[in-house]
Amino acid sequence: MSDRLTTSKVGLSLAIAAVLVLAACGSSTQGAKPKTYTGTLTFASFNPFTGPDASFGPEMAAGCIPAANTINQAGGVLGHQVQCIAVDTRGDPADAVPAAQKMIASTENLVGMNGPSSDEALATVPIIDRAHLPMFADSGQAAFDKSTYKYFYRLTPPDDAAGVAMAIYAYNKGYRRGAAVFGNDLSSQGNVPNLLTAFAKLGGQIVINQTLTLDQSSYRTEVTALVAASPDVIFTEADPQTDAAYLSQLQQLHGLIPVIGTQPTVQPPWIKAVGGAVGRDALSKNFAAAQPFSTSQGPAWDVYNKALLAAGSEVPQPDQWSQDPYTETDYDAIIIMALAMLEAKTPDPSFYNALIPAVVGNATGATEVHSFKEGMDAIAAGKKINYVGAGGPIAFDEYQNSTGAFELIGYSTNGSNPQLAVVSAEDIAKLRR
Amino acid sequence: MQQLIPAFGFGLITASILAIAAVGFTLQFSVTNILNLAYGDIMTACAFAAYLANHAGVNIWISLVVGALFGAVFSMLLNRFVYFGFVRRGTRLFGMIIVTIAVSLIIQNLLLAIFRPTFFTYEASQGPSYQLGSMVFTASQLAIMGIAVVAMVCVHLLLTQTQLGKAMRATATNPGLARSCGIPTDQVIDAAWLVSGALCGIAGVALVLNTATFSETTGAAFLVPIIASAVLGGIGQPYGAMLGALTIGIAGETAAALMSPAYKDVVAFVILIVVLLVRPQGILSEIAAAKEVAA
Repeated sequence: MSDRLTTSKVGLSLAIAAVLVLAACGSSTQGAKPKTYTGTLTFASFNPFTGPDASFGPEMAAGCIPAANTINQAGGVLGHQVQCIAVDTRGDPADAVPAAQKMIASTENLVGMNGPSSDEALATVPIIDRAHLPMFADSGQAAFDKSTYKYFYRLTPPDDAAGVAMAIYAYNKGYRRGAAVFGNDLSSQGNVPNLLTAFAKLGGQIVINQTLTLDQSSYRTEVTALVAASPDVIFTEADPQTDAAYLSQLQQLHGLIPVIGTQPTVQPPWIKAVGGAVGRDALSKNFAAAQPFSTSQGPAWDVYNKALLAAGSEVPQPDQWSQDPYTETDYDAIIIMALAMLEAKTPDPSFYNALIPAVVGNATGATEVHSFKEGMDAIAAGKKINYVGAGGPIAFDEYQNSTGAFELIGYSTNGSNPQLAVVSAEDIAKLRR
Repeated sequence: MQQLIPAFGFGLITASILAIAAVGFTLQFSVTNILNLAYGDIMTACAFAAYLANHAGVNIWISLVVGALFGAVFSMLLNRFVYFGFVRRGTRLFGMIIVTIAVSLIIQNLLLAIFRPTFFTYEASQGPSYQLGSMVFTASQLAIMGIAVVAMVCVHLLLTQTQLGKAMRATATNPGLARSCGIPTDQVIDAAWLVSGALCGIAGVALVLNTATFSETTGAAFLVPIIASAVLGGIGQPYGAMLGALTIGIAGETAAALMSPAYKDVVAFVILIVVLLVRPQGILSEIAAAKEVAA
């Protein structure tokens, strides 16, 4: 009886141990075989396509589609054609979480994605990471500055860096009394802490800090409080309708004062809404915006721009994205993932993810490439590669962030955005919290 | 504190738009017993109708009339061809709310498909500014307040001085009894949709004149304060809706002046909750109490 008990206990222990070993193997790629794929591989643009930040999605898709086209023209990835799909998060975590779960559960051959944006990143990054899906977020949230998510990458600067760039530009222009006027959404509020700190460190003063409830019918009381504080510059990011109502009511009650916005404030919907409300002349005289700096030139950008303009009906008005740093890096992200698949010899994200940093960065002896085709040929020739993208050189830090300088751009009545100044990454780093 | 009086003035502008919208909303409910959550989207559709007229070269105030006419006809047709079918089958209040939500989504997405996801602005000047004490109003805002006052007086006269108004009130109180007394309730309901739709159209255009720019979601974003105004006054009560609109409009602006703009909506809704705790049927409540809907 005792022997039988001992034997069954040993058996149970062995069974538990075996299950644990199997579980451990299941969570690691070591010793496991890559998944087999048949048919077209899919990249998702996981971003708001409707809601207050509906402009984010088309901007992202405009990067994915030309990247997929250049990959397909080069013969695809490991014999697979690739495609882009749009997944609408509505800019709201409550909608984004089920959208992420549905995307992961039901998208055939989903191998990578662009996004999420700041609106939904905190809620969805853990879900996507758990699904072992490489993501190139366009979230600027500082929470990801030291991200430990294995599948999280970021090619764009954090929001709080934009706040610092705005502060530096304003101070250099001679403004000393700033007003922070930001929407109460996560994306907008991400700019505020470092803006306040940096402007104070430089010697300026934030005379009023307003958090706007979005899409109200009137902001006149807020505008009256702003005017009473006598700022000489307004820092802002809010959705187009909110900023249009706020700035037009400022114009009615007092007259416009210089406005410095963030990257969303140079997007066509914001320009159309605010330009329509205050007049394009007034906008051109009073407006500047900070956005990640990209030279928008060089061999990789040429390939990107050619593919973008050739996208036809897939990308409406493609030329509007030609010099958009976010679209450029969205394009780069797809190329980087595809090249990492070639290095790993499989599109299986659990395998190629670890090789993403290896296809960028200036490793010794690496061959510089500027397109998927060049990278594919170099890898086929047994060379190490360094992909220099449409958005410029890429080098991930230990947290898989690759960030750079900012530029300040203006707005002219003919629709162009003249460059007003460049704020270096070093200057921003000095003032970041 | 010195911003309080200007804030009161700004609250009057918001309240004027809210009052037009809330009276239309509550009139619809009182006569038809349909809580029409597509109301905000119909406001947007009316704003687009006025936009098309305005961009065809029509003066903004005539465009406002176009918006009102569109709202009247659209609302009546919506009831005739969509809502009435459900009512005839005996769909209850909750079921009708779901139907109106579906209609709201359909209108919003149709507008999105037709006009694309972008922003629109009327070709209209705000006109000169006028200082009244420490309150400042533009000519356009004074016109909006004037339109609100005229609309409220017209609604009052309609309800108290005309056969149609009396028939509306009778239908609102007890449709079965009204019908057995010879009141043609179907025509009265059509008239109620026409009148409330016209108010909806005026409110939609006035809202856009105030916000300066709009998209397919503008009216829907304004629906919550409209409902709050209607509920605060006692749902189904046009005079209550006027009072509710005044309370919500002024409370929000003064809260923004005294505290932070972030508390604008919070304070307005705290007032709503407190009033409803003390008087669950709303400030003016005869019809609501009779229908047992506010309890």
